[in-house]
Amino acid sequence: MTQIVPLNKDIHRSLLVDGRASAAYGDSQRFVQVIVTEFPQLLVRYPILLSKDAATGRFYCGAMLGFDEGENLFLGEWTEREFYRPLALQRAPFYTHGSELAIDLDDPRVGAEGGKPLFNEAGQPTRYLQSIIWAFQDLKPGLETTRIFIERLLELDLIEPLDIEAEFDDGTMRNCSGLYTINQEVLSRLTDAVVVELFRRGYLRLIDLMIASLKQIPLMARMKNMRLLQATETLEAGARMPAA
Amino acid sequence: MNQPVKAVVIVGGGTAGWLTAGIIAARHQARMKAGGFSVTLVESPDIRIIGVGEGTWPTMRSSLEKMGVSETELFRQCDAAFKQGGRFAGWTTGEPDDAYYHPLMAPQGFSVLNLVPHWLKERGGRSFCDFVTPQGQLCDEGLAPKTIVNAEYRGLANYAYHLDAGKFAPFLARHCAARLGVRHVLADVIAVNQGENGDITSLRTAQAGELSGDLFIDCSGFSALLLGETLGVGFKDLSDILFCDTALATQVPYDTSDAPMASQTLSTAQEAGWIWDIALPSRRGIGYVYSSRHSSEEAARETLARYVGERHKELPVRKIPIRSGHRQTFWKGNCVAVGLAAGFLEPLESSAIVLVELSAKLLAEQMPACREVMDLIARRFNEVTHYRWGRIVDFLKLHYVLTRRTDTAFWRDNVDPATVPQRLQELLTLWQYQSPWFFDEFDRLEEVFPAASYQYVLYGMGFRTEVSLEDTAQSAPLASRLLREKDQVTQQMLARLPKNRELLQSIREHGLQPV
Repeated sequence: MTQIVPLNKDIHRSLLVDGRASAAYGDSQRFVQVIVTEFPQLLVRYPILLSKDAATGRFYCGAMLGFDEGENLFLGEWTEREFYRPLALQRAPFYTHGSELAIDLDDPRVGAEGGKPLFNEAGQPTRYLQSIIWAFQDLKPGLETTRIFIERLLELDLIEPLDIEAEFDDGTMRNCSGLYTINQEVLSRLTDAVVVELFRRGYLRLIDLMIASLKQIPLMARMKNMRLLQATETLEAGARMPAA
Repeated sequence: MNQPVKAVVIVGGGTAGWLTAGIIAARHQARMKAGGFSVTLVESPDIRIIGVGEGTWPTMRSSLEKMGVSETELFRQCDAAFKQGGRFAGWTTGEPDDAYYHPLMAPQGFSVLNLVPHWLKERGGRSFCDFVTPQGQLCDEGLAPKTIVNAEYRGLANYAYHLDAGKFAPFLARHCAARLGVRHVLADVIAVNQGENGDITSLRTAQAGELSGDLFIDCSGFSALLLGETLGVGFKDLSDILFCDTALATQVPYDTSDAPMASQTLSTAQEAGWIWDIALPSRRGIGYVYSSRHSSEEAARETLARYVGERHKELPVRKIPIRSGHRQTFWKGNCVAVGLAAGFLEPLESSAIVLVELSAKLLAEQMPACREVMDLIARRFNEVTHYRWGRIVDFLKLHYVLTRRTDTAFWRDNVDPATVPQRLQELLTLWQYQSPWFFDEFDRLEEVFPAASYQYVLYGMGFRTEVSLEDTAQSAPLASRLLREKDQVTQQMLARLPKNRELLQSIREHGLQPV
């Protein structure tokens, strides 16, 4: 259930919110929506791809985080080492309501143990809340910029489906469908005029970042492979234990 | 090479004319852009288009895709909906529970194994359709063949379209003119000029002067202005095989705008013919196709009214004469007939539009380079097209000849061997011992109705083929694997697919993506 209300410094003065990443808070997603301004930070860790909204069929940009439903291979790094976490997850449990910030009071992060305050004694936003405000300053126009970028990609037939097939050492296979990337064949055939246009609009750089980020997929597969093997070893160790 | 073929002139702007124009123009874009080839379509400013059936075959998807048409726009502008096959009620016994599906998906693993003997051997309660494919269940549940995340023209289940033919032709016209460089001339043809060898040289029009061309395509409808009236090619009447000669058509609005929509064409057998029922987003198209030799018009109107229910009083009914048959030949000299000008058969299996597509595709691929080779190509075109008409007639007759109904003269007369084509009689004999599959009759590359279609109709209507138990034992392991696969696919589809109406609304709102 959700109970989204506008954030109010008087009513919510003593509210504590836990902004850290956790499976319990819904950070276990294998794909999360991102905006174009995040691409440079994302590149060093995640494949930047496209997928379709299940309700509308429209494309959105996202970072791949795992191979299985509900799997986020980076969750540990987010909690332990503060790796870059996409804004769409950072911002939880906040929303915007018109130009105002709103909060979902039913979100498990609200009132959780270890939560941080949103306002200081003077009623000013704390550093945590300030980071949320900044996140939305990026997110709101960023979603629109990203939508226009995708529209241009579509017009130029630059999007193609990407089928990821991964085989792991425990003998299992994963087939990730519903993901899309840049069609490099079409890209290489663009006319000079279009290439210049894409360059001037900053799109060529975004396209390059998306292509470069594909190299993260085999790295992620290796991470996944190690975890599967660890799990198998633990199982085997368990099987060798004498029955009590 | 003298007398190169550079200018194609199409007469008639209905579905046949514009589909033919689009398919040829799409295939020859490079030559058209270089100025070495042109496609012109001339149509009368005031002839009304006859909506020949509102059902297509799945081939329409690739035809439109190749023409560069947006599927989203097709749904939005042509009142189009999904079609996943036909449901035939009352054709076998006429009892209330008598119905079978002819779905558009081939049986599971069709290219690997023929599942018919395995179904026959089981003699279980499941229909042949449910035994071999999920599509009947999808139709029963009112589900769409795809989801909003499937790209244009891609589906989880095979599908075709139900559409408003009155909107489809103008839709194609706009696309052909704007995107494919087809020249659109609005003018009445008042005279056809011929050369010494009988070839058509030009058309004189009332409003646009003289239109000359190298190849003329007659899409003028029943009148067959060029091939029939001008070149005198006769008509081969087939009403001794297919009796229906009249249609009474109406359009029935929905009670509410979100009423469920079937994605199968409903064909319900009646005393002297059958009623079609096609669900478009805005209305249902319903019509009674009957034999005037077996029913009076008054009785037919009553039958239609009974099917439509109370609402029939407020709805206008249009009477359309049907003349079952086709031209003696389809390509003569430098003139080819496509669509109604070539012939017409009752719309039982939506064969009209698919035949237009196949003819246009053959024309586009075999476009003669010059007049010298035209007669060679024409001979092959005629041979293939004759074969296709013959196969369609056989397939339509199959629906009648398997009936066990004896309640009216219409059904009794239909099983009279004198009315059954020789080839169909032979096949029916053969099929008592082996079911239609590969390696037999159906080896033509572009068969209008594939062997799978024959299987669905034959075994939907209770036809029995003898099976060898040794033979089925040999392929039993493969059969059970395929059937397990089919069950899995069915479960996944039932879980994932949205309701037909729901997806159509979603497409109108959000559109489908091109990839």
